[in-house]
Amino acid sequence: MAEKAMLLDMEKCMACRGCQVACKAWNELPAEKTTFFAVAGGYQNPIGLSPSTFTLLKFYEVDERDKVRWLFRVQRCMQCVDPACVKACPVEPVKAMTRDEKTGAVYVNRELCIGCGACRDYCPFTVPVIDTEASKSTKCTFCFDRLAEGIQPACAKACPTGCLTFGERPQILEMAHQAKARLEKKGRRPVIYGETELGTGTKKIYVLPEPLDYYPDVVKNPKVSESLGLFRELLKPFGGLALTAAVVGMVLGKVKEVKEKDQVKS
Amino acid sequence: MTNHWIDIKNADCIMIIGSNAAENHPISFRWVSKAMENGAKLISVDPRFTRTSARADLYVPIRSGSDIAFVNGVMSYILENNLYNREYLVDHTNATYLVDPNFGFTDGLFTGYDAAKRMYAKDTWQYQLDENGMVMRDPTLQDPNCVFQLLKKHLSRYNLEKVASITGCPSEAILEVAKTYGATGAKDKSGTILYAMGATQHTVGTQNVRTYAMLQLLLGNVGVAGGGINALRGESNVQGSTDHAILFHILPGYLKTPRVENQTLAEYLEAATPKWNDPKSANWWQNTPKYTVSLLKAFWGDSATKDNEFAFQYLPKVSGNYSHISMFEAMYDGAIKGLICMGQNPAVGGPNVEKERKALHKLSWLVAADLWETETAAFWNAPGVDPKSIATEVFMLPAAASMEKEGSITNSGRWSQWRYAAVHPPGDAKSDLWILDQIQKELKKLYQADPGPFPDPIVRLNWNYGPGAEEPDAHAVAKEINGYDLATGKLMASFAGLKDDGTTSSGNWLYCASYTEGGNMAARRDPTDAANNIGLYPKWSWCWPVNRRIIYNRASCDLQGNPYAPNKWVVKWTGPETKWAGDVPDGGWPPGEKYSFIMKPEGHARLFGFGLADGPFPEHYEPLETPVKNAMSSQQLDPAVKIWSGEMDDVGTVDKYPVIATTYRVTEMWQAGQMTRNNAWLVELMPDMFVEMSKTLAQARGIQHGDKVRVKTARGEITAFAVVTARFKPFKLNGKSYEQIGLPWHYGYKGLATGASANSLTPHVGDANTMIPEYKAFLCDVVKEVG
Repeated sequence: MAEKAMLLDMEKCMACRGCQVACKAWNELPAEKTTFFAVAGGYQNPIGLSPSTFTLLKFYEVDERDKVRWLFRVQRCMQCVDPACVKACPVEPVKAMTRDEKTGAVYVNRELCIGCGACRDYCPFTVPVIDTEASKSTKCTFCFDRLAEGIQPACAKACPTGCLTFGERPQILEMAHQAKARLEKKGRRPVIYGETELGTGTKKIYVLPEPLDYYPDVVKNPKVSESLGLFRELLKPFGGLALTAAVVGMVLGKVKEVKEKDQVKS
Repeated sequence: MTNHWIDIKNADCIMIIGSNAAENHPISFRWVSKAMENGAKLISVDPRFTRTSARADLYVPIRSGSDIAFVNGVMSYILENNLYNREYLVDHTNATYLVDPNFGFTDGLFTGYDAAKRMYAKDTWQYQLDENGMVMRDPTLQDPNCVFQLLKKHLSRYNLEKVASITGCPSEAILEVAKTYGATGAKDKSGTILYAMGATQHTVGTQNVRTYAMLQLLLGNVGVAGGGINALRGESNVQGSTDHAILFHILPGYLKTPRVENQTLAEYLEAATPKWNDPKSANWWQNTPKYTVSLLKAFWGDSATKDNEFAFQYLPKVSGNYSHISMFEAMYDGAIKGLICMGQNPAVGGPNVEKERKALHKLSWLVAADLWETETAAFWNAPGVDPKSIATEVFMLPAAASMEKEGSITNSGRWSQWRYAAVHPPGDAKSDLWILDQIQKELKKLYQADPGPFPDPIVRLNWNYGPGAEEPDAHAVAKEINGYDLATGKLMASFAGLKDDGTTSSGNWLYCASYTEGGNMAARRDPTDAANNIGLYPKWSWCWPVNRRIIYNRASCDLQGNPYAPNKWVVKWTGPETKWAGDVPDGGWPPGEKYSFIMKPEGHARLFGFGLADGPFPEHYEPLETPVKNAMSSQQLDPAVKIWSGEMDDVGTVDKYPVIATTYRVTEMWQAGQMTRNNAWLVELMPDMFVEMSKTLAQARGIQHGDKVRVKTARGEITAFAVVTARFKPFKLNGKSYEQIGLPWHYGYKGLATGASANSLTPHVGDANTMIPEYKAFLCDVVKEVG
């Protein structure tokens, strides 16, 4: 089975937020208590990804001299082709941060997760959010449970315009390049994000109609932290089964110490 | 819509004006996006930069209430620069018709105005007839009295500079629209106009829409694929409710409501049935008697006979205007004692809502049928109201949602789509059909027991949708709407067979052919396209009339039946044997035999529209409340608008209220909020009432983004959070800068998300033709909330 992917052609997004609500509906996530959207700007609410918000629509208002732009972007897990979160997950032998064999979707197995936060710390996009009450990591599941049944993710199903399109990665990349060419023809400066990022790319492929400077929260050169190897090394003595969030926390602290020392040296 | 949702994909240019389609009709953008993928240009004309504007190639800001000036300016440019489609004008519109030489226009007034009555006598708004009663025409378009020349003269006053000074839109932007949209005047190109309540909710709302329709006619964009004049209707099934006449001025199928002057059926039919001498005009409304008698047979069955004028006297006859504002004014004055509100929440959605809430206080009884207890149902318990002071008896009927009941829903594209009940309604909630069925059955019993002077209209009503208290049979209703051949008992195949002798019935002639002996057409789900492959999908659901997906479609062809746009043809003549191919043609006559606009008595679309109350050509007038003097004439307000001057009908002026305001909806909320403010996921997205304003206004008033502010008008004041945004900019009108703010109108005092109602601010004034309230342009002031 070819690798699945999703196109996020943000030129076709009109910020209806159907994806955000469909995500909550399918995953049975509760509404957050929000207030007026002054903090985040635009009409954005809630203020960030959270244990009850896996998909979030961001608004970017740009006041240029001759023209106002209002850009939109769906924010959530990028579903990396080579996911650092899975590598970082210390739960062994079956990872809590699971790469589903059948669909390739990466999701949190809540039964196994110890809420240590390693996945978040090593995510190049800092996407996972730790539900501190339940001690579980949370994020977009790529609707692995829907994919297993041969149906597309809930967000893509809800999207009215074809901004979110689910399919096979080569075909999605081709669509992304077509969308980019269309935008260039109109004199815009589109960016494909997710094709080559991190070397192997991601399965969420963005077409952003404007350069990355217009989207200040998008990570410009995402990288997996070099300390991932060190972290894995330092964890070894603890073995997979005895791990607790506290132990992993201690190791993560240790990694940080080493890193800081390295930085001082250099 | 003359066309339909999917057809938007066929457009070469899409102008969204008076509509925020991306936010309020998100599905439309499926097809807008497809058109844009194929190279179509999108123009968004709006006072504020919306989520629609965010997607547009061209954003064009115009001040609220200046659409006519804007579109007249665009049309003027198109006429002066020969961008119009001349062949289309000559063959399909009344451009060639000669008008009475006594017709004229001076200083904002057409001939025949009676200032005391605020009404026009239309004696001069007429065509010139020859000795045979035929309209005189000039196919060269040169005669100074022909519609084309009169229009050109009328529009010549709207030059770019003038229009810029009225609309606040830079003249370069107006020019760009004129050129870009004007390019669809090429024969094989098409442009579509999508509009909604941003167009209609003005004192000049009808004329706003007329300017759009006229622009489409000038460019030959009506009847073609990717064209048309397309009303994006405000609610699910509001098209169905209009078709079936949930309005005071029409009967089902847009038949006219009888007036007190129409004392007999013969008098009514004489007044309601248009006559025309030209044999090439199909004058479709000449069938009015057949549709009327068949409707009366559907209403009263065997009790409707030739001897009793088919029960014509059972129909109420109107003497006045019973639109929303009139009703609430009458209620406020104590003339209306009872009110049934089904799925409506006027205590949030009505204009000048402080007055409308007070009007509810004066009712003896109120029935509210809704999914939740709305602000209307709970008016007696509103903040600041002492329930002890209210004598109204309130009945709350829990109602089923659309997904909980079977029936048809007609969308904006006139498609009637049958739906099955997905789930059962919760608790005691019942379908509207069940509620009405029970009310009628009880009423009938009451009138049988105690007949009073005139029980027949109720006692003899033809009402057979199931016994007792069971859920009525929606199919029985749908079949009644379609109608029967009463001799055979068979369902009618189409309205062509309806008769005026009492042998046929039809609850709505426009829906005749929707439920035939072949089955329930609205339930069809065959996704096969028609031969022309333009997305008509003729076997998917059913559309009125007679499953014609694009109306006036013969206007997509020349007089030989050849399509103007062969690459996206709608219909074409294939010869005397095989006749028309493609969509169901607007009449099956061979090409050239009958004119294409069959619903107009003269058979040609009207650039000169003498049917309207306020003039045959659109003219710019200012809203009731405006910061400026009308730059076009000394007529400040549309001269045919009714002025209300009762208690609580105060009008604000620019000295006290210098800021223009408008109201609107957002994607995340729905209408008066009962369905969305009770949904936690949607409340999360839009938790509070807010007001959007420019950075310059905020700076002038010392307001920061996120501050609580107070918005005041002559009617009331509200508090809201300030959204300070670059998406709002001041307008330069005649050299001076004016600010405009915007308010969503979804909030009220019930539900999970509560907030002030924007309609506390809006005035009680309506359009000159339809009385739709002017929600979209009024004056206010904004200050920072202290403490």
